[in-house]
Amino acid sequence: MGDGEGREKPEEAKKIVHTYPLIRHSDMPEEIKQESMELVVTACEKHSTNNESAAKMIKDEMDKKFGPPFHVVVGEGFGFEISYECHNLLYMFFGGNLAIVIWKC
Amino acid sequence: MPPTTIKKVLNPKTLKKGRPSQNRIDEGDDLEEWKKSKQLLRPKDQLELTEPELKDVIARQLNTNNPLAPENLVVFNHGTGAFELVPPFGPVVVIYESQGTQLHKESEEAKQQVIDQGLDPAILLEDAESVELKVENEEEFLGEKEGEEEPAVGEETEKVEGEEEEEVEGEGEEGEGEGEGEGETEGTKAEDDEDTKSHTTGKPKKLTNQFNFCERAALTYNNPMRAQETQTIPPPMGTFSGNVLQWIIYDAYQQDYEAQQLEKELERERKEKEKAPVSRHQALTKKIAGKAQLSEAVQGRVAECWKVLERMVNQNTFDDIAKVDFMKPLEEGAVCLFTLKNPSFPDYICMTDSAVMCVDTHPKYPYMIVIGLYDGSVRVYNVQATCKYPAFKSNSVTNKHRGIVWEVKWAPDLPDGEMNFYSVAEDGCASCVKFHPKQPLIYLVGTEEGNIYKCSTAYSSMFLLTYEAHHMPVYRIDFNMYNSDIFISCSGDWRIKIWEDNRLEPLFVFDVGACVGDVKWAPYSSTVFAAVTSEGKVYVFDLNVNKYKPICVQAIVSKRRNKLTRITFNPKLPIIIVGDDKGCVSTLKLSPNLRIPCKAPKKQQHLDQWTMQCMKLDKLLSLVREPAKLDLPEDTAESIES
Repeated sequence: MGDGEGREKPEEAKKIVHTYPLIRHSDMPEEIKQESMELVVTACEKHSTNNESAAKMIKDEMDKKFGPPFHVVVGEGFGFEISYECHNLLYMFFGGNLAIVIWKC
Repeated sequence: MPPTTIKKVLNPKTLKKGRPSQNRIDEGDDLEEWKKSKQLLRPKDQLELTEPELKDVIARQLNTNNPLAPENLVVFNHGTGAFELVPPFGPVVVIYESQGTQLHKESEEAKQQVIDQGLDPAILLEDAESVELKVENEEEFLGEKEGEEEPAVGEETEKVEGEEEEEVEGEGEEGEGEGEGEGETEGTKAEDDEDTKSHTTGKPKKLTNQFNFCERAALTYNNPMRAQETQTIPPPMGTFSGNVLQWIIYDAYQQDYEAQQLEKELERERKEKEKAPVSRHQALTKKIAGKAQLSEAVQGRVAECWKVLERMVNQNTFDDIAKVDFMKPLEEGAVCLFTLKNPSFPDYICMTDSAVMCVDTHPKYPYMIVIGLYDGSVRVYNVQATCKYPAFKSNSVTNKHRGIVWEVKWAPDLPDGEMNFYSVAEDGCASCVKFHPKQPLIYLVGTEEGNIYKCSTAYSSMFLLTYEAHHMPVYRIDFNMYNSDIFISCSGDWRIKIWEDNRLEPLFVFDVGACVGDVKWAPYSSTVFAAVTSEGKVYVFDLNVNKYKPICVQAIVSKRRNKLTRITFNPKLPIIIVGDDKGCVSTLKLSPNLRIPCKAPKKQQHLDQWTMQCMKLDKLLSLVREPAKLDLPEDTAESIES
């Protein structure tokens, strides 16, 4: 990652870096989606250096708010194929380099 | 009760200590015979003793004195404030104590229990004795054998008991006392119980203890069970898959950002559109205020469109020759500039406060127009700038003609570039003027009385030559296009005359039988000219064809109502325009036989049209001049005269 960042920086200096939360895919109801998004932002900002604790925080909060079996993935590079309960999926980017997948199953 | 337990404990103790070896030996002697198979386990390091050694009795004496026990313990008594001697501990050491749960049936407690159950203890005792008797009988065989041992044991126990008697005796006596007391009561009760016993001859009841009890329980009816199951519809599931890579994230952000920018732009445009009606509203109020400006701009654009449209329409209605009518009002005049592309309406209109009598356009600057008015004033318009106000205007009081301005003419520009023009008016009896095409200073002036004066601008008060041309006002003088020494004149005396410069007699004279309003040389031929008469006819002459009669006479307008006053050739095309006194202008196309070009002779093919036209005219003139040659003296006379 160190190398990658080193290469990216000069480009980023020219181009604008976008860090806002960007929802790529979600079938949640609008309210839940907004709430989840805010939760993700909070968690990722709080645990900016530790994706694991961020994921744990998101998962715990989601379980508390919307009922238990939630799964959360936070990472910079991964692939996934998941089965999820309908209207309980959120796939979003945040901070320019993080991808967050939240689903219930 | 505790003392009894102590006794019981003590007895086996003393027994074990006192005769471990003896017991074993005795038993071995007696039992070896019928217990041969029994193998004794012995430790490996056991000493092997001979028979006498084994028989030898080693006397050992045990006493209860504890040599380690302190003898004079004292404790400080706070009550008395002095040390007190603590009595020495006895030889008894309690190693294990356990409360028994079994009662001896002869004990007081058991008796009490029996009485509580409503039974006679005596009966129970009898039963017990009978049982004991039986047991005694059975034990009599063993008792004889064991009888030897008993005295030894008895001695030892007696010794132990003797020592302990001091402590235990009191209690024992008390126990006995109670036992006796109870015995007496039992005695009385026994008699009663005997009676009851006779009644209840059943099985004697067993004493209850924790091992002898009866348990009762009730089993309730078990309800039958039935299994029933149902399955809910599982919540709808979906699958979703994707790959997360840094460049995918970056691209997604870029894409989204672009989309946002586009959205913003659209939003802005929409807002502008929304705003537009509001501003238009404001503009409306402004428009009312500045309506003139705006309408001018709009009209300018619309007028342009209309103009184009109008020209198109007119091109269809009037083929390529147009006929234009316009009335010339007398009270107020107008200069109308037409284009052949739109003959139905003038492109430019210059309104004047008096009737316009004549007009001329500048040869170099066609937008400069000079007009002569009915009231005697002259004006110059620059139509390129504006048609509404004249660029120049003669002073209406001090600097104007006193009669109708018959003709205006642009003169060649002065050396310093300034434009100038001449005007001819009624007040000096001049009726028309013509400049010499090659000599800028020379001009001819026609007068009311019929004379033609050759003048020069250099001398304003003198005539170079005077031709007694007509008897009526001269209406037009025109120089030939090819030979500037030849000029033509027409007059109200019905005649058209062709003159040569410096020759006082005309070369040709034609009588058309009506007042000739205008005459012009054709630009395309040296021998063709056209004239209009007040009878509404156009005469076209070609001297090369016929020296005496016109080759074409055409009535253009009704001779009763209209008079033709003006005619002009188009400088390039075979077209003439004719104007009448009612304001109507007609354009006419000359038929091909009126404009036959010269055919070059076979010997002179290289000559161009211009030269041939000049030659044609010269040839014609030489024929006419012939008589002039004959009377040469006349020529000299003329010169002498002038």
